[in-house]
Amino acid sequence: MSTEAVDGSGSSSSEDAPVRPLIDLTSRPTARSYLREAWRRREFAIVVPAQDLRAQNMDTTLGQLWHLVNPALLVGVYFLVFGVIIDTRRGVDNFLGFLIVGVVLFHLTQRVTLEASTSITQNMGLIRSIQFPRILLPAASVNGQTAAFVPALALAILAVLATGELPTLRWLVLPAVLAAQFAFNFGTALLVARIGTTLPDLRQILPHLFRLLFYGSGVIFSVDAFVQSAAWRRAFALNPLYDVITCARWCLLGEPVDLWVVAGLVTWCIVMPAIGFWVFHRSEQRLGA
Amino acid sequence: MSDPAVTVEVRDAHVSYRVFEEPAMGLKQGFARGRMRRQYRMIPAVQGVTLDLFERETLGLIGPNGAGKSTLLAAMTGLLPLRSGSIRGRSRPSLLGVSSVLRPALSGRRNILIGGLALGFTRAEVERRMDEIIDFAGLRADIDRPMRTYSSGMRARLRFAIATARIPEILLIDEVLTVGDEEFRRLAAERIDDVRSASGSVVLVTHNMNEIRRFCDRVVWLDEGRIRAVGDPAEIVDSYLAAPSHNSR
Repeated sequence: MSTEAVDGSGSSSSEDAPVRPLIDLTSRPTARSYLREAWRRREFAIVVPAQDLRAQNMDTTLGQLWHLVNPALLVGVYFLVFGVIIDTRRGVDNFLGFLIVGVVLFHLTQRVTLEASTSITQNMGLIRSIQFPRILLPAASVNGQTAAFVPALALAILAVLATGELPTLRWLVLPAVLAAQFAFNFGTALLVARIGTTLPDLRQILPHLFRLLFYGSGVIFSVDAFVQSAAWRRAFALNPLYDVITCARWCLLGEPVDLWVVAGLVTWCIVMPAIGFWVFHRSEQRLGA
Repeated sequence: MSDPAVTVEVRDAHVSYRVFEEPAMGLKQGFARGRMRRQYRMIPAVQGVTLDLFERETLGLIGPNGAGKSTLLAAMTGLLPLRSGSIRGRSRPSLLGVSSVLRPALSGRRNILIGGLALGFTRAEVERRMDEIIDFAGLRADIDRPMRTYSSGMRARLRFAIATARIPEILLIDEVLTVGDEEFRRLAAERIDDVRSASGSVVLVTHNMNEIRRFCDRVVWLDEGRIRAVGDPAEIVDSYLAAPSHNSR
């Protein structure tokens, strides 16, 4: 017994034309090759959330119907409370439509964020068994919650029509607004997925953060009607959810929109994915440890 | 020279990790002390390991607890940063360690699908290989039960079957075979052969000397983060078992 085999023969074989060059295993892959690898396995981020959604309500009586009933209840409760019981106006022509669009879009980002915050910690078994780009896990959260949101969106649009709105050319802009929200959600998901691994308390903090954000996003009231100062109104444009909701209301309800709000949305939907990816990618390798 | 080609090249690798000297702080203690960062010492786990892994080779890694075996594997997959030195390889190794389960609430079949997609198979490819993987795991009768109802041996078999469904070029196995029965070990041997016949390499960490004798072509004895001996399995295992510092298990 001795150490002859390891160092002696090892150093001699290092340079003679290997089949493929050796790569550094201790550094992380470049952003480009990382994204390429993730894209190659994109089916994971589609099939897995679909399975999870299916598994979610398996033990309930209504089963898969819950994916429709749940958003219907969400919209229905607001319809009942603010449309039938308390008939509010508050400086908005179609307050009910106004409310429902706001609630549904706000809810989407909230669900995506909450789900993504545990996407890494909940999948430790998978992470420790298989090498794959971890970005697929928060991506699966985003896709799953977005898919689950489609019925709610459909119901919101029905509610808007039911409250007397007619489709206009502005409605064609809605997909762009939703795409911007998707990009923003994706970036947020990456960020919270990363933070959630070192600070599991995030799961407890997020609901409160969203409750606060709820009031700052003009979901249940018109900021324009309540905030007199133009400077303060401009400050609301810093809130990405306010931007999304206000732009969507412009599309569907013809509510006024400030240019600052549009600029805010465009900025957020570019900056947030960039921040999220940067944070996630630079600590990717430590996520499993 | 006419040496077989190198698949992984470890050069003077040093890995340390933090050992915290005080318990985790809540906010209250944090405020009381005016800092949240805990005091820690850097414990050297791997101290200057130099090693080559060759094509078609199964390398055993033995040593007492805390010798740095698992740390070295983690460093090879990039899970732990090196303090100094380098580790280069043909491709990123697949590390198979003892961990819980993939998705406990889902059936074995669903877990195969999820794992297969993570490995980079398309859904159709997974479906095509499904029966083969189920048979390999020996779980035909139980595959539609939730994975949380499985015994630890069944879980290990399933995870092994999934993780090696795509034959990895470099496979690192950390104490996985120990939990399985003889049948599982036979199948594992089959997969290890598959890796080798595809010009790959396998590293096997275990405390079971029979596994070392059975699977390995070469053995590295790690002790306190350093290589104590390298060579023929029978020879190294004998001197390892004879060493006074070693607690036989």
